[in-house]
Amino acid sequence: MAIARGRAGEELGVEVGAGAEAREARQVARRRAYRAIPITIGLAMIVGMIVVAIAAPLIAPFSPSAQFSTAVLKGPGAVEGHWLGTDEYGRDLLTRILWGTRVSLQVGVLAVLVAFAIGVPLGIAAGYVGGGTDLAVMRFMDMLLAFPTLLLALLIVTALGGSLTNEILAIGIALTPNFARLARSLALSIKENDYIMAARALGSGQTRLMVRHIFPNAMYALVVVGTLYVATAIRTEAGLSFLGLGVPPPTASWGNILSEGRQYIKCCPWITTFPGLAIMLAVLAFNLMGDALRDLLDPRLRGD
Amino acid sequence: MLQYAIQRLLIAVPVLLGAMTIVFFAMRVLPGDPCIAMMGDEATKEALADCTRALGLNRPLHVQYGEYLWRSLRFDFGESFRQGYPVTQYILLMFPHTLVLVLASTVIAICVGLPAGILSALKRKSPLIDYSLRIFALLGLSMPVFWLGILLLLVFSLRWNVFPLIGGGDLERVVDMVKTGEAIGEPADFFASVADVVHHLVLPAFALGITLAATVSRLARSAMLEVIRQDYIRTARAKGVREGFVVYKHALRNMVIPLLTILGLFVAIALTGTVLTETVFTRPGLGKMLVDGIGARDYPLVQGAITVFTMTVILVNLVVDLLYAVFDPRIAYK
Repeated sequence: MAIARGRAGEELGVEVGAGAEAREARQVARRRAYRAIPITIGLAMIVGMIVVAIAAPLIAPFSPSAQFSTAVLKGPGAVEGHWLGTDEYGRDLLTRILWGTRVSLQVGVLAVLVAFAIGVPLGIAAGYVGGGTDLAVMRFMDMLLAFPTLLLALLIVTALGGSLTNEILAIGIALTPNFARLARSLALSIKENDYIMAARALGSGQTRLMVRHIFPNAMYALVVVGTLYVATAIRTEAGLSFLGLGVPPPTASWGNILSEGRQYIKCCPWITTFPGLAIMLAVLAFNLMGDALRDLLDPRLRGD
Repeated sequence: MLQYAIQRLLIAVPVLLGAMTIVFFAMRVLPGDPCIAMMGDEATKEALADCTRALGLNRPLHVQYGEYLWRSLRFDFGESFRQGYPVTQYILLMFPHTLVLVLASTVIAICVGLPAGILSALKRKSPLIDYSLRIFALLGLSMPVFWLGILLLLVFSLRWNVFPLIGGGDLERVVDMVKTGEAIGEPADFFASVADVVHHLVLPAFALGITLAATVSRLARSAMLEVIRQDYIRTARAKGVREGFVVYKHALRNMVIPLLTILGLFVAIALTGTVLTETVFTRPGLGKMLVDGIGARDYPLVQGAITVFTMTVILVNLVVDLLYAVFDPRIAYK
């Protein structure tokens, strides 16, 4: 008899009947199975992206800079071998999109690593040490946070000039305050634990405490959020490239293929359609993965 | 309450000054020389020196910095290097375009995103509703606004020819007519102008609004989930209050605080969105002005645009902080 068991301590629905418990068990199982879907799809897409990025020279049908004078601005499949069509220089669109995966993935992952490497130590120090350190670090982060991510990245990349490295640095710096804030709040709650007090009583210094105890305990939450920020970084990269401030041509990036294709939007919409689709799928992959990981971390966001 | 307000204001001021400092120094380490950008590589040394002097770029950095801060506080961003007219005038001209875009897309984002997020949270036990809403939100979140913009242009402007391809309509005329009272005198003219502006606004506002709606619905979903788990909701249900009543009277009202947080985040995201949206729709506005200014290495223009954007974000967050205290008096006493 399942009577008012208050699933997950909330709804006080009264169920009557012998099958109720079994039905509930089936529902829970089904929900669990549903939950595995997004993480599987996200992971598969990310693995796919990594494979494409690494193997681009092998799987791309042509060289990304090869120009085919006989196939300028041809639609998908119009010319044998050019499955997604060609651009204004007669370059194969599929090849360029496959190579563009490298730029997006590199910027996405490395920018987040930059933000992580700067933001996390600062945030942990601010949260753990407190006082003046906290005030100084967080006020500076507040200043950076006053800029919307794309605007700050735009400002930095304009100052440094457009290149792959500068783009990574710019987006990395723009994302830094987000990591610093999270690391600080994690450090604040972790430092209240008994094991921290125990470690301190055993004579651990501040640095050792932060590196050996606080950081490892904050790691999981930081990685989850990091995954979501890879999505933000990829989207920001595409935005910068679209505005003409990303990796300079002729290097193929999804944003600059799309931006160059805008002039030909009337005759040749495929040049803008396919790279946009690639951006969306890449961002979606990391969002799916990050969301699923976050749900695991924070059960309150789950459905059940 | 007053003490809290003053405290918040005192925090906002240094943040604003710091953000302006970042803008100034970032612009000054720009690799390109604005004079070379304007006059081309063939310019003589003398001409370049003249240009540098005329623009005041030869003065010590701290003097330029001091002047920039002092003038910015009075909303004087100097003169555009390229066109020579005051940046403030340009900003005032562009601001209404960006404002209507932000407002229209906000309305769309809230009308679509808020109900979707709330429904998703309330129906979280129904995989069909919750999951499909969440998938739509994820797709919206992952879709770059400039790509959605291009797709909309492809279908509605190029194929069906129902919406204009570029421009923002004659918003200045609408504003003028309101100012001079012509709007009442010649209503037919006025409505034609308004219709023209709206006609130009539909696609950009929809593109930006839909991508923003995704963010709103995700934030609303987690805010609702947070509220619905509170003890008072369980108590209300235990008392036998009808579900609809629980949602309206207890849950929605308590969502105000989390929703305010959304507003703060939202403005920053929306402003970023206008930069890309205005560029893809070739629409006048602050974002387009910023992008053009960067291309032309027009320091004052870029500084002005970014300063206005940043001021807006800081100001909105200040207002949000103050509203928190209004809606939840406990916050002011913490």
